[in-house]
Amino acid sequence: MRRRWAWLLAQAAAFLLALWAAPRAEGLWRWLFPGIARPVWESQSWFVLLGEHLMLSLGAAAIAGTIGLAAAILATRPGGQRLRPLLDAVFSLAQAIPPVAVIALALPLLGFGAAPTLLALVLYASLPVMRGAVAGLDAVPPAVLDAARGTGMGRAGILARVELPLAMPVIQAGLRVAVVLSIATTAVGAVAGAQCLGTPIVTGLANGNMAWVAQGAVFTAWLALLADRALRLALAR
Amino acid sequence: MIRFEGVSRRYGDRAVVDRVTLEVPGGSICVLLGESGSGKSTLMRMVNRLVEPSAGRVLVDGRDVAQAEPEALRRGIGYVIQSVGLFPHWRVAENIATVPRLLGWEAARIAERVDALLALVGLDPARFRDRFPHELSGGQAQRVGLARALAADPPLLLMDEPFSALDPGTRRDLQVELRRIHARTGKTILFVTHDVEEALVLADELAVLEDGRLAARGRPAQVLETGADRTVRRLFGEESLAFHRLGTLPAARLARPEDAEDGLPVLPATASLKQALMLMLEQGTDRLAVPAEAGFPGGTLHWADLVRAA
Repeated sequence: MRRRWAWLLAQAAAFLLALWAAPRAEGLWRWLFPGIARPVWESQSWFVLLGEHLMLSLGAAAIAGTIGLAAAILATRPGGQRLRPLLDAVFSLAQAIPPVAVIALALPLLGFGAAPTLLALVLYASLPVMRGAVAGLDAVPPAVLDAARGTGMGRAGILARVELPLAMPVIQAGLRVAVVLSIATTAVGAVAGAQCLGTPIVTGLANGNMAWVAQGAVFTAWLALLADRALRLALAR
Repeated sequence: MIRFEGVSRRYGDRAVVDRVTLEVPGGSICVLLGESGSGKSTLMRMVNRLVEPSAGRVLVDGRDVAQAEPEALRRGIGYVIQSVGLFPHWRVAENIATVPRLLGWEAARIAERVDALLALVGLDPARFRDRFPHELSGGQAQRVGLARALAADPPLLLMDEPFSALDPGTRRDLQVELRRIHARTGKTILFVTHDVEEALVLADELAVLEDGRLAARGRPAQVLETGADRTVRRLFGEESLAFHRLGTLPAARLARPEDAEDGLPVLPATASLKQALMLMLEQGTDRLAVPAEAGFPGGTLHWADLVRAA
């Protein structure tokens, strides 16, 4: 376990080192993209883009987590069972709309910047959280619930002290998917002008600069993979 | 202690419990006996309001349970179920402490109580208090389940087929253990089972249910008297009814107060006629010596008397 954490830290350090080295490696970019006049991304610091990217994606994952968990709790209450097909349909539909379409549709209402991106990410990432939480809450053994009621625990007590702790591994798996999806998808926010690791991609596409596109794509995917590894390790038991 | 007054529970057109009136005296073990679907569990679950009656009412200590706040009511009634339902993420001690924690006991008092209860149900506190439920055998888990039900010292225990999923040997051990705990604590116990042997071992009072209706009730000896109800005969088995009846009758009463011959097999004065019969069959004899005990002068039990009593 400790060795796997050390290995992960080494990978994170390599990632940060690559971000630091990217503006300094003009020779490498020229060699890789010989036809491009200015292959080095110099508009913003990569670290600023990383910070904005993480704020956006983790913020969206936190909101999606809250919404998804609340919906799952509602759908698994005795009174909420009838809402379950409706909630499932709404969340599935929300995920079915491509985030880039959500951003385009939301632009007139929310304007440019982080807001439409956040909306698109929340819609995209809520479904896995809800699905995971519903599955986890459904899997709590009926006998345990019967015993909990029979010993005189209240509804809120049963939820907080029995159901959620027992469902937690499955809920966390859903959250992990939401975080990774969110980190990988945040890049599209750049089309709405949100600062993130997608900004060089969008700018590069607009200017026909494949070097910027490649750098943005590599760092976005790398970050998503790192996050997936880290969460898997953190949630393993 | 518990009174069911004309209690029914209907689901749609089907009455799962149908106009049952029954009184369970304080301090006794009352066994609700019936096949699956007879309504025995539903009837029991009305006592702690896990099921609400469609008609009639349930009184505990003279108070209608419908007037009580359900959570508070349940904290005052021990509850044991067949699948045990221990909380898998809590250690044994935390499981047992469920109700005391809900009642806001101090930590020191809870710890003391947990150890006392583990000892009472026959588990070494030092070895078991920090285990998780998945580290227990079925019998150990149900002992912990019983300790959890007893934790806040409730005067009343509800037990829903608590031993039915256990191996026969473990089941018999726990039946004996429950009798011992009952003798020591004087709890009122409402015990649901489909197992006639278990019912006879445990019951002070027996209530037989069929299709939601009360088919027979009374002390086991009364329920099994010759000319018993059709349901009772079917449940206990027509051909073994007399044998079961022997189990409800004390042997000492039939012993002739004569000096026992030397060399006769000895039957304890507290034994039932069923035990007497088994001993006779095993030893190949038609007479047993019953030694003197408090209130009984001693004597000899004859095969002919035993056969007539059955």
